[in-house]
Amino acid sequence: MAGIVELLINGLLLGALYALFALGLSLSLGVMKMINLAHGDFIVLGAYLAGAAMSTTGWPALACMGLVVPAMFAIGWALQAGLLNRVVGTHELSPLLVTFGLSVVIQNVLMEVFTANTRSLPSGDLALQGLRLGEVSIGLLPLLIGLVSVALYAGTHVLVSRTHLGRQARAVADDPETARLVGVDARRFFALMAGFVMAVTGLAAVLYGVRTPFSPTAGPERLLFAFEAVVLGGLGSLWGSFAGGLVIGLAQVLGAQVSTGLGPFFSHLVFLVALLVRPQGLFGAARH
Amino acid sequence: MNNMSATANSPAAATVEPNARQARGHHLRWVVCVAILVSLATLPLYAGFATQRLLVEVFVVFAIATAWNLLAGFGGLVAVGQHVFVGVGAYALFVVSNTLGLNPWWTLPLAAAAAAAFALLTAWPMFRLSGAHFAVGTWVLAELVRIAVLNTETLGAGGGLPLETLRDFTRLQRNAGVYWAALVVGVLALVTARQLLTSRLGLALTAVRDSEAAARASGVSVQRAKVTLWVCAGALTGLAGAVAYMNTLQVSPDASFGLGWTAMAIFIAVLGGIGRIEGPVVGTAIFFVLRESAGQFGAWYFVALGVLAIVTMLVAPGGAWSLVLRRWPTFDPFAMRRWMP
Amino acid sequence: MLRIESLDAHYGLFQALFGVTLSIAPGETVALIGSNGAGKTTLLRSLAGALRVRADSVLLDGEPVGGSTEREQLSRGIALVPEGRRLFASLTVHENMQLAATNGRPGVWSIERVLEAFPALRPLLSRPATALSGGQQQLVAIGRALVCNPSFLLCDEVSLGLSPLVVDEVYRLLAIARRDGMAIVLVEQNVRRALIESDRYVCIQKGRVVLEGISASADRHAVAQAYFGV
Repeated sequence: MAGIVELLINGLLLGALYALFALGLSLSLGVMKMINLAHGDFIVLGAYLAGAAMSTTGWPALACMGLVVPAMFAIGWALQAGLLNRVVGTHELSPLLVTFGLSVVIQNVLMEVFTANTRSLPSGDLALQGLRLGEVSIGLLPLLIGLVSVALYAGTHVLVSRTHLGRQARAVADDPETARLVGVDARRFFALMAGFVMAVTGLAAVLYGVRTPFSPTAGPERLLFAFEAVVLGGLGSLWGSFAGGLVIGLAQVLGAQVSTGLGPFFSHLVFLVALLVRPQGLFGAARH
Repeated sequence: MNNMSATANSPAAATVEPNARQARGHHLRWVVCVAILVSLATLPLYAGFATQRLLVEVFVVFAIATAWNLLAGFGGLVAVGQHVFVGVGAYALFVVSNTLGLNPWWTLPLAAAAAAAFALLTAWPMFRLSGAHFAVGTWVLAELVRIAVLNTETLGAGGGLPLETLRDFTRLQRNAGVYWAALVVGVLALVTARQLLTSRLGLALTAVRDSEAAARASGVSVQRAKVTLWVCAGALTGLAGAVAYMNTLQVSPDASFGLGWTAMAIFIAVLGGIGRIEGPVVGTAIFFVLRESAGQFGAWYFVALGVLAIVTMLVAPGGAWSLVLRRWPTFDPFAMRRWMP
Repeated sequence: MLRIESLDAHYGLFQALFGVTLSIAPGETVALIGSNGAGKTTLLRSLAGALRVRADSVLLDGEPVGGSTEREQLSRGIALVPEGRRLFASLTVHENMQLAATNGRPGVWSIERVLEAFPALRPLLSRPATALSGGQQQLVAIGRALVCNPSFLLCDEVSLGLSPLVVDEVYRLLAIARRDGMAIVLVEQNVRRALIESDRYVCIQKGRVVLEGISASADRHAVAQAYFGV
């Protein structure tokens, strides 16, 4: 019994990490109606940046977040303002193809600079510590990630529902043309959004780097998990992406029980089946 | 007809009537076409194994890029997971040929059919998605199949399968045979693309690409057009994949279901010109010239390729062919243009 | 003074406006009359910055402002109430106006003032904006433009699909704005209403100005002819 509970909790906590991956993508897809195919590669980039920060400053991983998150914000802003704003809304294929090229560039630059070896961010004791609740034992790091994920989603929820920025985001998601008529500066706003998305991604990247070994080519798989979480949860639903992430995490942990290599297979399968049965996702609005 | 063209052009303008000019162009095309085909077909007689193997790669990659271009440029379907067909075609060839002891060359059509069947099967789930979702959805599909094959012992799991039935042939026979198969695939790709696009389906697709709503309103069966395209592209890619792995004698899941195939196709289509049949021709040439000359720079070569693709999308979204057209607007080497009577 | 000088407007290869010239003085109400597809919406969108046009084809107090962005036009005092209301469904009534007010200019118009004019809207503030009746939505849409404190309010078909009583309410709101000295450009399919509510009228047909004059002394017959292009 305790084994099953542990399994489920592990699945949910893994899912919470995937939900973090999905947060940025959810905002990007929902508001800017654009998918960055290099999203996963930016997660990996963030992890490498954290590694570089750690070896330069000697700070622990979590402290380096203070460097990585602002750096990623700047990268996101610059990327949107300098490159992606030019292709938004032009050719329908352009954003996909440009970000695909970006994905290849990032992966190979990382490969040249950091070699293809797998590595992870040193975390001291954190990765080894656990919490005991009766018969059940939970890793402290996964638990921490779970809490950060919930906090970040809650924070984003507040941002979206209570602030001017959030109102602009919802307006642009509804009707970009009319949003411009009420004074939303599309270019600057998209750059700001992209910066925020990248900052969130950077935070997720540090946690990911501490928890999981990564390599330059790990990006595409992260993108797939994030994308699956967003679509499963339903486009346009913030907490839907969180739920979607949990489902993906659970599917992987349960799938790995069947056979060690089959974790991702099961989450992919769940995704495709869910898409057939309920294409709008768990919490998606049917009007999309 | 002669009278109409004569009056349509002012007497002072054309010294040669359009019909005669057309006929000359037509003849020239055929002569050039036959010359190229003959020199390519006789290549095993005068070129070494290395050249043959390189050209096999060229033709195979060209076919896959043409298939991708058909989907993306004419169907508006960006299939990031197109490489699933490469693997399906290759494994179909290996499994059927090995199990039934069939001559691999005769098994090639079966591989294409298997890929087509797979495309038909996956059309319904895939076409519930559109745009970026379709793009990533096909990618998920490819991953699904890859992991499934990776974990299947009867298919060789991670190590893959060798093509045992090729052992009955000499090295000379193998190289020449695979080369000719690849040449056929390359020509088939070009001919299929051209036929598809100059047919009613092609017109329908151009309509869908320009405005799906308008096309549907005019009675074009959008769904049927897309599925046909998906199946054709899948079959072509599967066939190309089968030949590609005949060339390497061994198929494995990570290689045959690898994103690298689609990445190459995307680069070629983007650099050459998406949505034009000449695009993959030019693109494949550019791609291989770059690879052969800069390949030793390792990962930086791929970085340069990626940057080039990004810059192309920004500066000349129509690719290299659009630059050619800017200089010679009526250049139409594959006789794609329809003349209105 | 808002002057439009030889304005040409294109949608891709299609030309929608041909050398349109007209002017709107501060505080006056001008009615744009014309059938569907005549170019009335195109003209308003060109003024609001939603459509790229030649810089010197739109002059605000002598300054060329054509081709500016919507945000720039808003800061200069030109606001558009778009055809079909176009309220944001994911925002409440209050949030719709809040968004515009934060982006707009300071002035006499605030959300509170809109509510004072129409107390019936007060209990609806926290409802999703599209969960209101057509007439209520139209009032909110106009209110959303008013809280930007424009000097020139462009109204595209504000009475479309509304019952006569509700249309009266809409025009009551516009009258309050007019009393503050706001200039209004009205696109109206209801010719009779348009002439009653405006100082001057301009008839547009196939992208060209074909008739204009003082509304009070308008010849109904001539206007009808210009409308139908007879």
